[in-house]
Amino acid sequence: MALYLHIFLVTISEYFAYRMNFILWRARAFFSLIIRYYLWLALYEGSQSIFGYSEAQMMTYVLLSTVISSFVLATRTPDLAGQILNGDVINFLLKPFSFFGYFLTRDFTDKLLNVVFSILEVYILFALLKPQIIVSTDPFMWTALIIFTFLGCLIAFNINMLISFIAFWSPEVWAPRFIFFILVMFFSGGFFPLDILPTGVYKALLLTPFPYFYFVPSKLYLGYTGSELIFYSMATVFWVLHQHFLWYLYGKEGYGVTVFMEGNYE
Amino acid sequence: MEKRVTGLQFLWKVTMNNLGKYFEIFWLLSRYSVMTSMQSKVSVALFTVAKLIRFAMFFFFIYYLITHTNTIKGYSADQALIFFLTFSIIDSVSQALFREVYRFRQMVISGELNSVLVKPYPALLRVLVGGVDPMDLVISVGYVCMAAYILYFIPNISAVSLWLYAGFVVNSMVLAAAFHVAVLAFAIITTDVDHGILIYRDVVSAGRFPLEIYKEPMRSILTFVVPVGIMMSFPSQAVFGTLGILQGTVGVILSFGALWLSLGFWRIALRRYQSWGG
Repeated sequence: MALYLHIFLVTISEYFAYRMNFILWRARAFFSLIIRYYLWLALYEGSQSIFGYSEAQMMTYVLLSTVISSFVLATRTPDLAGQILNGDVINFLLKPFSFFGYFLTRDFTDKLLNVVFSILEVYILFALLKPQIIVSTDPFMWTALIIFTFLGCLIAFNINMLISFIAFWSPEVWAPRFIFFILVMFFSGGFFPLDILPTGVYKALLLTPFPYFYFVPSKLYLGYTGSELIFYSMATVFWVLHQHFLWYLYGKEGYGVTVFMEGNYE
Repeated sequence: MEKRVTGLQFLWKVTMNNLGKYFEIFWLLSRYSVMTSMQSKVSVALFTVAKLIRFAMFFFFIYYLITHTNTIKGYSADQALIFFLTFSIIDSVSQALFREVYRFRQMVISGELNSVLVKPYPALLRVLVGGVDPMDLVISVGYVCMAAYILYFIPNISAVSLWLYAGFVVNSMVLAAAFHVAVLAFAIITTDVDHGILIYRDVVSAGRFPLEIYKEPMRSILTFVVPVGIMMSFPSQAVFGTLGILQGTVGVILSFGALWLSLGFWRIALRRYQSWGG
């Protein structure tokens, strides 16, 4: 445990070594939030409800999904692809600690820092623009929100690791990650709640892992039915297990095919 | 009495006298860049697919939203799509031309910039436009065709407003060049920030939608402080006749002023360069 605490502290130190970099990274996220906020505000001018969402519900969704996405999507796993390509990954495999635990700890640190700043940004937006939002006091809903957010993190972590494992077979690692990023941006409900889409498209999207990153936790906050909760639970657990199985399979296969010399593709 | 020549006037004179030579170097660098890109065909294809997916998603999103809400700040779905397409054209062409800026920080850290500075041509030629991205240029042509198709169906668009649109797109490219030069200069001044260009990308992404959606003081900030409005909204406003003459004139003056300032910033940054890497 002390070892992982040390990894946690080292990761934090890395961030504080490049403070300006981190501040500007968060400034980018804040700017993106402002754009979404104003877009929806403009659309609600003269309308009480759009796609069945009131203005307060939509603003709650925008703000909540921002905080949850900053937690779920923050990751250090892209570093792994670079380490596989230049051969540095061998250093981790030889060390007496879990490779999985190492990256999970770094991911957790990244998430923690990002979510703290994200809450601060939402607070600033709230203080400046005073949007209408819905505040829930239902303890069951909060518990469900926390559990689904945690499971969303696991799905995101597993997929991110899988994308990094591409480096075992090909040096083309950044393009797949870029495609993944684009898909997440839209299919996880970053710009809009997915249930405003035509029913067929929405149902098809629920069969992919993307909605479980942060659409489902944000949607649960705004209200749910019993059958929805059961479906979301089963689908989320399926994707956690499915992605973890693939992660294990491809990771094992990857170590087998790799020849660690000066660098795999240099 | 001998006339005093300022640094920028000297730079202008030298540039004009060597324009042909610089164009030849630009052409050579562009050819090399295309050849380098084609070395990793899979990567080029995947990035292109990703960009097309992103474009299609935003296109669908804007169209779907506005057809369900009727208008956004008085603009119809077609007009909102022209704003988005104009943003896409300017963004894509500037990415195609100024791709090398994305690799500049590494050049500073590794010390490779030293070898660029000793070459007998302006360093900006190499670090600003020395890595043309062919795929972004191809994609831009598609965006232009789509914009032309949608504009064809929008009523009351005159030939004059189309010329104004084209003129303001060129003006946007001047402003984009100014932003990119400023990012280059910033990368020399401080190596702490590794995604200066991505910050620029995020800020200009505010121009995907008509600037009228932003409330004051945000709208004024986006027009005059960080001139995203001039860059992304003015061409569309010009074609729809919602841009005032004074606004347009100020926009052009600000764009060329920004370029002049960023070139000054670049010269200051070069003087402060201490060869970080190597």
